[in-house]
Amino acid sequence: MKKGLFNKHAFILSGLLLLLIAVLVACSNSSDTSSSGQDSGSDGGETAEGSKWDGKTLKVQLIGDFSMEDSTDPITGEKTPGLDTLKEEFEKQHPGATVEFILMPWEGYTEKTQAMLTSGEADVYQMPGIADFAAQGLLEPLQPYIEEDSEFSTDIFIDQQVEGWKALGPDSDELEIYGLPFFGDARFITYDKKLFDDWGVEYLSDHPTMEEIKEKAEKMTGTNPVTGEQNYGVWFRGDWSSAFTLLNAAEGINGKWGTGFAWDEVEFEFNSPEMVEGLNWMLDMQEFAPEGIVSNQGNEKWMTKDNNIAIMLNTGPANLVQQTYAQGLEDRIAIAQEFKNDEGKGGLFAGSPITIGKASENKDLAWEWLKFATSDFAQKYFYETGAFPSIKSALEWESVKEYEHLLGPVFEAMSTPYMPRYHWAAAQPRFILTSEIEAALTGKRNAQEALDKAQKESTEWLENR
Amino acid sequence: MAKNNMEINATLGSVSIKQKKKTSQWTWYIFLIPSFLGIILFMVYPIFESLRLSFYQSNGTIENFIGLDNFKTVLTSGPFWNSVWNTFYIGIFQILITIPLGFIFASLINSTARGQNFFKVIYFLPNVTSIVAAAMIFAFVLHPEMGIVNYALEAIGLPAPKWLADPSTSKWAVILLAVWHWIGFVIIICLANLQAISAEMYEAAKIDGASGLQQWLFITIPNMGGTFAFLLITGWIGALQRFNEVYVLGGPNGSPARSIQTMGAFIYERGFTGFEFGVASAATYIMFMIILVFTFVNLKVSNMKL
Repeated sequence: MKKGLFNKHAFILSGLLLLLIAVLVACSNSSDTSSSGQDSGSDGGETAEGSKWDGKTLKVQLIGDFSMEDSTDPITGEKTPGLDTLKEEFEKQHPGATVEFILMPWEGYTEKTQAMLTSGEADVYQMPGIADFAAQGLLEPLQPYIEEDSEFSTDIFIDQQVEGWKALGPDSDELEIYGLPFFGDARFITYDKKLFDDWGVEYLSDHPTMEEIKEKAEKMTGTNPVTGEQNYGVWFRGDWSSAFTLLNAAEGINGKWGTGFAWDEVEFEFNSPEMVEGLNWMLDMQEFAPEGIVSNQGNEKWMTKDNNIAIMLNTGPANLVQQTYAQGLEDRIAIAQEFKNDEGKGGLFAGSPITIGKASENKDLAWEWLKFATSDFAQKYFYETGAFPSIKSALEWESVKEYEHLLGPVFEAMSTPYMPRYHWAAAQPRFILTSEIEAALTGKRNAQEALDKAQKESTEWLENR
Repeated sequence: MAKNNMEINATLGSVSIKQKKKTSQWTWYIFLIPSFLGIILFMVYPIFESLRLSFYQSNGTIENFIGLDNFKTVLTSGPFWNSVWNTFYIGIFQILITIPLGFIFASLINSTARGQNFFKVIYFLPNVTSIVAAAMIFAFVLHPEMGIVNYALEAIGLPAPKWLADPSTSKWAVILLAVWHWIGFVIIICLANLQAISAEMYEAAKIDGASGLQQWLFITIPNMGGTFAFLLITGWIGALQRFNEVYVLGGPNGSPARSIQTMGAFIYERGFTGFEFGVASAATYIMFMIILVFTFVNLKVSNMKL
């Protein structure tokens, strides 16, 4: 008879609601991390008893196509070990500690990293945009850890890598170490020796000049004398990375993008005579490229047996070895260096450093992870997953020596990029410059006009930021 | 006495019904809580947070109040007005082409005795395809050298444009994709209206000697007014918010040379690639005002009451 709040219907509906909430909570928890680790290790155990790391959980963020479990590469068909391998090894070396991975795709990584840093979601971060985040005071300076740790030396890293990732903190006057080199990256020129042979053109020299590239590309544009197919002398991406192609061309004739690292000290030189000459060279090179470079098209056959492009500018090492061998191109693909200035430096500095979040409550353990992540064990693991190592000892690995003809030049490119790196490339000036290069490549403006406009807009942006 | 008892029972009965109603309402409000929470957290809060950010120079952590400077930056920005132009250019031609063409196709499908469902499915398929996937496929379809469109154009002796590799044709590449993707929806909506027009009107017109074309012009089209207005308004709102396909085809800065950068892409470029959240928020509110004013004008022009 009593008709209170919890009558039969209300009771059932409330029950359903609680069930719904429970399901939602369960789903949200399961998607929080990708770690398979459940226990923190706080209950000790035989190895963890009394350990320095007892009960500590380290959250490590990684960007890219990683997986906790073993997976199979769709191109090569080779098995790649999962991140559990690293987790087990680190936990073995640091009894009592637990590692949890937070994996994110490259798509939108900057905004996701910003959100994670702001909320203190992880202890350790893979941090390509280190300059922006260090300036916000969100990263831990690493110099004290390096000085206090006698077991560690920055000499293990490939030349220029530590220097290249230095950044300005919120109050610092000069560049400091906020991250250790984690994944290597570089830009170089790749070419197809078979097309050179077909056309009877001498292979590129190890350090080609702009004139050499132009002359050889011109010779190899047209109908292939052996296969009878249309060939193109060169390809470069005319949209997204065109700014880096231009900068490298300018560096080849001792030009530069500008000066300064802190925003209030930056001065752009986008319309310097060297930059104009570089863009005019790109316009010349466009004549020997397929239509569609501005929309990232025309290179569909590159890295296949049907390849129709002789020289590929501004290429990177991602999956270079795997793809070359998977396609049976090991005797065809060769590498030459990008253009260098009189100091022997030129080309994009890229890759990912590894950092500790300022908000981390496990900084000592995070430092241990940084050392582990840059050790031979972890670097070899990441190399097997397709990433490029950042340490000198990699040159001695059997798995690297086996492909020395490809990887040797890549390591050289990594040790000779333009320094300091183009930190402004993560901001509006890069988009302004790219758009104006596109305007020149599509005939909307000539090189001088395009770069004058890029200079004006970038300077205005700098003044108003 | 009996009367009093009846009154008491009636009173108790009304109290019981009221209580039941209250309990019932209370129960359903519980069910609405998750939705309300979602709306408050993911819609209302971001809307107001974005308004606040539009007055700040902000990179997400460091913020400085700068008043209306962000609005000034956006309103005096050449790339912003270029993105407005691109958005309207693509939107106008998408609507001008799709609504009449969709209506014609719907009329043809409606007049066929057989295979109506087959045609409905065929034309509607693009609309259920993800616009991101469709954009990726269109990049190949419109490939300057290997694309099927240029192959067909060359086969009949017409010049082959560079499509996405040329700023003068890239917008038309997006228009083609937008028309292909939206036309199925237009056809289905038009068909629904066509089938609702009274058959007696056509019979009367036939008796009066009206030809098929005359029936279409003087009976069908006037009866489609509401549908056209609906398509016009929803089409415009969608066109003004265009982002996905231009992002896939031209990146955040609408390559080549910002030729397909829409307002949505401009906001993304400044907000999520340059960390200028204040500028992006100001641009969002300016875009909101543009859509508001334009929708108001559309409602007036189409005499549609919402």
